[in-house]
Amino acid sequence: MRKSEFKLTGIKIIKFTILLLVVDFCLGFISNQIFVNQKTGKFHRSTYSIYEAKEDILIFGSSHAHRHYVPDVIEKELSKTCYNAGAEGQQLLYHTALLKMILKRTQPKLLVLNIDENFLYKSSKAHDRLSDLHPYYEDFKHELRPILGINSSLIDFKLFFKSYQKNSTLIHALRYYLSPQIDYKGYRPLDDKMTPEKVAIHEKNHSEKEFIEEIDDYFVRALKDFISEAKRNNAKLLFVTSPNLIERNVSNNESLNRIKEIADSEEIPFLDFLNTPKYTNQFELFHDPSHLNDDGARLFTGELAHFISSSMKI
Amino acid sequence: MLFNSIDFLIFLPIVFSLYWLLYKNLKAQNILLLISSYLFYGWWDYRFLALIAASTIIDYFVGLQIFKSHNKSTKKKWFLLSILFNLGLLGFFKYYNFFIESWVSSVSTLGFSIENTWALNIILPVGISFYTFQTLSYSIDIYKGKLTPTNNFIGFAAFVSFFPQLVAGPIERASNLLPQILKSREFTYKAISTGVKLMIWGFFLKLVVADRAAIYVNAVYNNVENHDGLSFIAATVLFSFQIYGDFAGYSLIAIGIAKMFGLTLITNFNRPYFAASISEFWSRWHISLSTWFKDYVYIPLGGNRVKKPRWMFNLFITFLISGLWHGANWTFVIWGALNGVYLIIEALIFKYKRTSVIHIIITFILINFAWIFFRANTLDNAYYIINKIFTAPGHLYIGSGDDITASIYATIAIIILVAVELKKEFFDSLFSISKNKSEFVRILGYSILIFVILYLGVFGESQFIYFQF
Repeated sequence: MRKSEFKLTGIKIIKFTILLLVVDFCLGFISNQIFVNQKTGKFHRSTYSIYEAKEDILIFGSSHAHRHYVPDVIEKELSKTCYNAGAEGQQLLYHTALLKMILKRTQPKLLVLNIDENFLYKSSKAHDRLSDLHPYYEDFKHELRPILGINSSLIDFKLFFKSYQKNSTLIHALRYYLSPQIDYKGYRPLDDKMTPEKVAIHEKNHSEKEFIEEIDDYFVRALKDFISEAKRNNAKLLFVTSPNLIERNVSNNESLNRIKEIADSEEIPFLDFLNTPKYTNQFELFHDPSHLNDDGARLFTGELAHFISSSMKI
Repeated sequence: MLFNSIDFLIFLPIVFSLYWLLYKNLKAQNILLLISSYLFYGWWDYRFLALIAASTIIDYFVGLQIFKSHNKSTKKKWFLLSILFNLGLLGFFKYYNFFIESWVSSVSTLGFSIENTWALNIILPVGISFYTFQTLSYSIDIYKGKLTPTNNFIGFAAFVSFFPQLVAGPIERASNLLPQILKSREFTYKAISTGVKLMIWGFFLKLVVADRAAIYVNAVYNNVENHDGLSFIAATVLFSFQIYGDFAGYSLIAIGIAKMFGLTLITNFNRPYFAASISEFWSRWHISLSTWFKDYVYIPLGGNRVKKPRWMFNLFITFLISGLWHGANWTFVIWGALNGVYLIIEALIFKYKRTSVIHIIITFILINFAWIFFRANTLDNAYYIINKIFTAPGHLYIGSGDDITASIYATIAIIILVAVELKKEFFDSLFSISKNKSEFVRILGYSILIFVILYLGVFGESQFIYFQF
């Protein structure tokens, strides 16, 4: 055994590490520039919410928030600025993290959280999709560590490389550069109208549940965090459930009941549109059984804006 | 413990450092290898360590007894003990429920009413097919007089449980790995460098090629009713790269780690999709398993030194068993049988060696057709997919949202993979990054590859497909 081999290996490891860090820094810088310079798409919207949004009213929630709340309608009714920070497929952990990052810079007057009735149920996908927060880790370690740390105790280690922070963002950027995904202050309208036949096809194709009907304590904690962050920053809160095409019995939905209990104990207004007769079976207002089309979204947002103007002082 | 996990990223440098700190003491090094291998396996489920330990103890003593016995029938008895124990383990944990369910189903088909009360809730121990085959080959080789057993129990136990290849191969022969474990290893920069390079390429294959392709493949194959022929063709081609990236990736990481420990494992894949015939494919794909079946099933059956019908039977039965080895499901059996049929037809029709691009493409198509059975969740699904491919091409599913992104990444990764392999296969003397004279080019090349892995890879700590076999 020659000691020179150990020494040689040590030197090579140092050289390799240095060059690897240089490559990661340089290519990481380029990938970061590509990332932050996106003009449309989901990352553009989250980046705008985090670094630029100064609107009075911010909307949070999954696709139901993103597709149902028309900022223009709210702005006209209330004469306040509004931005829709809803993100498709994202749930409470993501939105709490997003809120924390936003509140570090600005103080909105009202936060509207669109509640999905299954928000508190266990969902591995909700955890998996938190990777959308990785690109912001470098700037918001303090805010993101507790949430990203749920899935990995070594999050600082994992996100050490700049290239990993921007993992899987390149095609997104290129895709929306080539074919911009137009939004209207974060809102993207859905067209098309439902028919009973389309409902049947939709139910057949989307029968798989994304959750297990057990309460996830992390989600409960995230909801409570969301509330306390808002209160600490003197922002008013409003919880809303969106309309659904088909009437559903949610009286035994433990997740929704728990959210209502929390809202009640924290004195947060809860506006429940879930089984509102005005929307139930109104096929022309829906794009699919749980998403309103643009007509439906404008009608719904109008009602919401009216409620805010008449019942909440902001 | 998974290679693509943070746990392993911590485990490996610790074991590696301790291992070379002990370089003056071979016994201590082997004890460390043994402990770390058991830790590696126990991380998944410590209860099944007892199976590896039992297999190790039995084959160690059986090996010595076979060697010591002068009487043929005594040798045979000891040999049978090893066979029965190892195949018994495999049979019980992997095939018990399969055979019971198949039997109940066939009896029901004949019109008899029978209730299945024999099925058990059995967990399949990870890697059982690999380590049982490895220890079996040890006993068989000693029985046939090809190998002398070792008296070094620690060394033998380290050979059986050597963590890089314990759960998904390559299936090592005692004649290759055991002598290396029993003699002191030399620390060389060259070996470490080669090992690291192999690992980096292995991770590219797994995290960028296989796991990206898996997203599209799973979306189509797990939801067959909603897809058409074109989507099945695309998903099957992507699956061919997924299974290659997954398994060849694992093998390369295993070989790379072993290199870093001063040990050389058998090459398991040799650019199989450039094969110009099915027989050539099988000499390039999962080489350690193919040669195992050749040496311990095909040749003992008579190989090709028998009459033609018997030779064909030998080929067919070898591939049928190989299919069953891959999984306790009729889809794997049909996959194996189909490969056997391919080989028989090939042997009957072609008398000359094929090398042209057309032959490579035909072989790739045939292999892909067989992959349909390998990947389909059930035989009915496989027939449905084949029927759709030939009768209803329909529209190509391109996915929605993140699925499209994943498909594009998978395509980019496959293009990189094919370009690299094309260069190695046909233009190896041209520019090379790994063998470049300039150290800067070598390091820069691998740094960029790491960047690509971190930037484009899937980091969900997904299982390797071959763990289930």
